[in-house]
Amino acid sequence: MDNKLKINLLNLGFITIKLLVTFLLISLIILLLGGSPSEVMESIIYGAFGKPQKIVKTLLIWAPIALASLALLITFSAGLWNIGIEGQIIAGSIGATIIARSALGESIASPYIQIFIGLIFGGLWGLLCGFLRVKFNVHEIFGGLGLDFVASGLIVYLIIGPWKRAGIASTSGTDIFPDASWLPTLGKYNFQIIPLVLVIGSFLIIFILIKYTNLGLRLRATGINPSSTSRYKINSSLYFYYAFAIAGALAGIAGVVQAAGFHHKLVPAISGGYGFLSILIVLASSRNPIITMILSFFFASMIAGGSQLQLRLDLHSSMISIILSSIVLIWLVMRSSYLNNMFNKITSRLNLEK
Amino acid sequence: MEIKFKNITKSFGNILANKDINFTISSGKIHALLGENGAGKSTLVKILSGHYRADDGEIIVGEKKLELGSTKDSIKNGIGILAQDPLDFSNLNVLESFIVGSKNSNPFINIKGIKKNILEQFKKYKINVNPDDQIRDLSVGERQQVELIRLLFNGTKIIILDEPTNGFSLEQKQLVFEVLKSLNEVGFIIILVSHKLDEVLDLCQEATILKRGEIVSTVQLPCPSDQIIDLMFDSKSSVKVNNKKESLKNSNLGSILINFSKNPKSIQYYDQNINFPCGKTTGVIGLQGSGADQFIRDCFSGKIDITIKNENSDNFIPEKYFYYTPSDRLEKGLFNELKIYEHVAISRFSNSQIIDWKKVENKSIQLIDDFNIKGEKSTLASELSGGNQQKLMLALIPEEIGLLLMEQPTRGLDVQSASFIWRKIKTRSNSDYGSIFSTTDIEEVWAYSDYIMCFSGNSITHFSDKSKISKNEIPYLISGVNSNG
Repeated sequence: MDNKLKINLLNLGFITIKLLVTFLLISLIILLLGGSPSEVMESIIYGAFGKPQKIVKTLLIWAPIALASLALLITFSAGLWNIGIEGQIIAGSIGATIIARSALGESIASPYIQIFIGLIFGGLWGLLCGFLRVKFNVHEIFGGLGLDFVASGLIVYLIIGPWKRAGIASTSGTDIFPDASWLPTLGKYNFQIIPLVLVIGSFLIIFILIKYTNLGLRLRATGINPSSTSRYKINSSLYFYYAFAIAGALAGIAGVVQAAGFHHKLVPAISGGYGFLSILIVLASSRNPIITMILSFFFASMIAGGSQLQLRLDLHSSMISIILSSIVLIWLVMRSSYLNNMFNKITSRLNLEK
Repeated sequence: MEIKFKNITKSFGNILANKDINFTISSGKIHALLGENGAGKSTLVKILSGHYRADDGEIIVGEKKLELGSTKDSIKNGIGILAQDPLDFSNLNVLESFIVGSKNSNPFINIKGIKKNILEQFKKYKINVNPDDQIRDLSVGERQQVELIRLLFNGTKIIILDEPTNGFSLEQKQLVFEVLKSLNEVGFIIILVSHKLDEVLDLCQEATILKRGEIVSTVQLPCPSDQIIDLMFDSKSSVKVNNKKESLKNSNLGSILINFSKNPKSIQYYDQNINFPCGKTTGVIGLQGSGADQFIRDCFSGKIDITIKNENSDNFIPEKYFYYTPSDRLEKGLFNELKIYEHVAISRFSNSQIIDWKKVENKSIQLIDDFNIKGEKSTLASELSGGNQQKLMLALIPEEIGLLLMEQPTRGLDVQSASFIWRKIKTRSNSDYGSIFSTTDIEEVWAYSDYIMCFSGNSITHFSDKSKISKNEIPYLISGVNSNG
């Protein structure tokens, strides 16, 4: 058997072992939380894929997570920790709400204008973080976190202030958007095609950007070592801006999907925590675009299915967050463990035999 | 005490850096590891120091088996490395770096005492560094000097010197060698990794020669240098530095004018402007830590104006035609986690937004071949040896006419790689606007420059055509009036 094949098989074997270990540990955690692993998993799968309308809902949850993950692929490529992604999602949803509440909100073009404006708002919110980093040397983690707080404050202010419902000011959200401002649906299961098109389109753009363009390569180079960029005539500040603008725009679109596609109004928790979740996804998938997409779908299914836990098993639905974060943790630990060293040792020995 | 290497094997991707290394080093004899760039010397000592984990084999220090890949265990066994690129904490100051590495477990640190101790040591070895200086502000050479003292301070018993002396001035080198010899006599194990034969012959009693990752032979010193060169290199080639006369092809481009009117504060430059004809090479020589490297960086960053002057006009050279190679190859010159072909794409194919990877790969293969880089197109920059990193940096420079600005282009390279690199520089420099390089090596500046600039400390002490200066004057010009102290 040729060595390359052997290495690939070994690689597959190791991944299988890791998946198995993850699976076992998750089962253990479920047991500790007082559930039955098989029942929990069965109802998650049912909750996510059991009926056509459940699949539709899973896809709708997937869209913002996938978009946010794609956004983070870009910032991580440039070596940036875009903690500000939550704020960028919120900015996008605020942009969408402005359109939905304006005269344009009654127009049939409203969803598309919302997407455009959300993209701009998210992009600008991202650029703000880049601006703080480049001009004032504020690390993007602190800048981003600060801007997240500003955005959450702003959204609450808008909901209980200028955009409060007639007669009541409540944090439960604004008035429902006019029908024309909802993302359009197809068929009797209310399938929304636009979020899916946005995800696939963004994925293709990001994939090509990272793999085949000079921009993507330069973003990566800047991320690896900003001190080396000047001899290649790369303006590293410019690339930081690019990364934040692209990521912010994608996150802004995710915010539009959340507002116009899912909630049909602006709520304080509009981001759903998907921004932070996406950070975990991208970390766990080692910044590989395809794995990121698969993993984000997996996580979306878990979230969609998790809502069943309470109904069917009387388990609190927060269990799903515990499971999700445990998966990421276990996976990250295994990625940097002795298992890997062992694997590297074996493959390098095979390499030597060539 | 003895260190036994048994079947040590290490590869990086497809590159086999060490293969079945078996030999013994014992105290009482200063041991040299010799070999051309990429022969696997640095890898081997980094395995000993725990920075790399060997794929196979074991190392026995005294009676104990060393835990491979653990710097902690290596330090516990008294192993300290003085690396080619110093392994220190660039964000600390000198004093802090001494405290961080100290084995003293007492939580209350006698900072004053340590500082006094450090100052004494620095004075003893004539090191001009203030314990309060930030490490990142020191030159590579100063960092190496500080590192060596730090190792001694921390009770290192096995000292590995990985091409260190590039960072030392002649006087310091002699002092350090005296110290090393006396340490050797009291039982320290000292391993010198080098390709400088004179240095090895001066210091060592035993040498192990590596070629392409394998041991060729261990020889007792002294022995004729020809014999060692035969063992180190494949084919006998002229190891003598080529002192080839430049063809005086008068370039009609005009001349390079260096204008000091902006005069950065850090360096005392000439109060007059200087110029040399296009197509010529100016060598900037200074001791380690002098302003020579800074001068190159200032030229690149535009702190010093450089224009092309011909009969009718002064022209700025567009920024994109300044080609710069730094002396910190991995820190400022390359992207450690990018592959060779990705570097090629960034530097040679920057005009097109969509990258044609096929074209890039073909170009990469051609450049690797052309510049004799020991690596493959998908080798990471960090997997290349220092010499090959330098070759890669040169290979990445576009073919278009430009001004070459090179900080110590042959730092840490063996004679053969160095002369290869100079051949490559010289083939293009006649048709370029010009080239300016810094060095600490008098032989080098003498061999390859048309114009010579001398730095003493931070001031320029001389600039002229090579014919107007004699080689014997240079040592005085770079050290004589050491105004900085």
